[in-house]
Amino acid sequence: MKLFWGRQRSLSCLPIAIGMFTAYCLLLSACRSKEEKLPIFGERTANGTDTVFHTIAPFRFVDQDSAIITNESFGGKIYVADFFFTTCRTICPIMKTQLVRVYEETRDMPDVMILSHTIDPEYDTVALLHDFARRLGVESKKWHFVTGLRDSIYKIAQTSYFATAMKDQTEPDGFIHSGAFLLIDKARRIRGKYDGTKEEDVNRLMGDINTLRKEYGE
Amino acid sequence: MPENKRVVVGVHYLSRLALCLLPLAYCLLPFAYCLLLLLGCSRTDAKFQQYYVQGEQLYIKHCSNCHQKSGKGLGLLYPPLGPSDYMEKNFNDVLCQMKYGRKGFLSVNGQDFNQPMPGVRSLTELEIAEVATYVYNTWGHDRGMVEVAEVKQALDKCSP
Repeated sequence: MKLFWGRQRSLSCLPIAIGMFTAYCLLLSACRSKEEKLPIFGERTANGTDTVFHTIAPFRFVDQDSAIITNESFGGKIYVADFFFTTCRTICPIMKTQLVRVYEETRDMPDVMILSHTIDPEYDTVALLHDFARRLGVESKKWHFVTGLRDSIYKIAQTSYFATAMKDQTEPDGFIHSGAFLLIDKARRIRGKYDGTKEEDVNRLMGDINTLRKEYGE
Repeated sequence: MPENKRVVVGVHYLSRLALCLLPLAYCLLPFAYCLLLLLGCSRTDAKFQQYYVQGEQLYIKHCSNCHQKSGKGLGLLYPPLGPSDYMEKNFNDVLCQMKYGRKGFLSVNGQDFNQPMPGVRSLTELEIAEVATYVYNTWGHDRGMVEVAEVKQALDKCSP
């Protein structure tokens, strides 16, 4: 009799337990979906009732295969952008080591690309960039190393990507530039900024790439 | 017992005692030798450790950006330091390159590299010996301690 009682009590608890568990799950998923949106960087303006976000300005560069690279080359893709030069001995080698990690991590994601701009276009010719990419062991269809007019590279760095890039003779290599990686979404908006010389920050970038892909249902 | 006989017996005992002690002394000799050797070893060992630890710090500061902390290099851009047949065959050149850098093609483990390496002019002979002690005793290398005298000799031949 006692046993029967005990069993009945535990059975009556079951629906409550299930209900609580479901509620907890719902709460958790609600919280998570709230977290899983990356911020949108830059100034925003209102156009009537629409919010207009800061976007990357149109560009036209040449990559390591002499192909013309424009905004359209990244149509329907998210990409990671950075600024470097091949003879840089300070932070660039670390940045490239970290970007190779991103490259390897996103190898099976055709919707993710990488765009590296040289800030020393006089020295970093197409042939040199081609050799650089080959030696790094990366494919040009996923990772474009681009060169172009120096002024247009510096301008897009500063006004579109909020990255510093300029000539400076007082620096050991003759340039100052930021070691930032920028995550750009399919609407050409900046969704994340990371220190490309720090492994933990690049781990965050790789997490954010997955978050952003989920936004697009990938 | 006559007096002189007693003396003879005394001497006899003494000589026997000495005879007994002799093998004992011989037995102890290798021990003493080992002890001395051990003391000497630990002294060079401490020096080696000091060079190695200092060398690692200098390596991380000046070299690891390109050659990586793991010494594996990066693709075909920056050559690996271990394993590296180039390092084994070109000890003096490696010491020089730390200070004066290097340009042009370089073959490491059968692969061509062509990224210019900037030298670190500020490195002293001691610091080069420390870095060399580190890189030549890590990642499969076991050259042992690199002395300042070796560095001095190598640098004398390559200073521009």
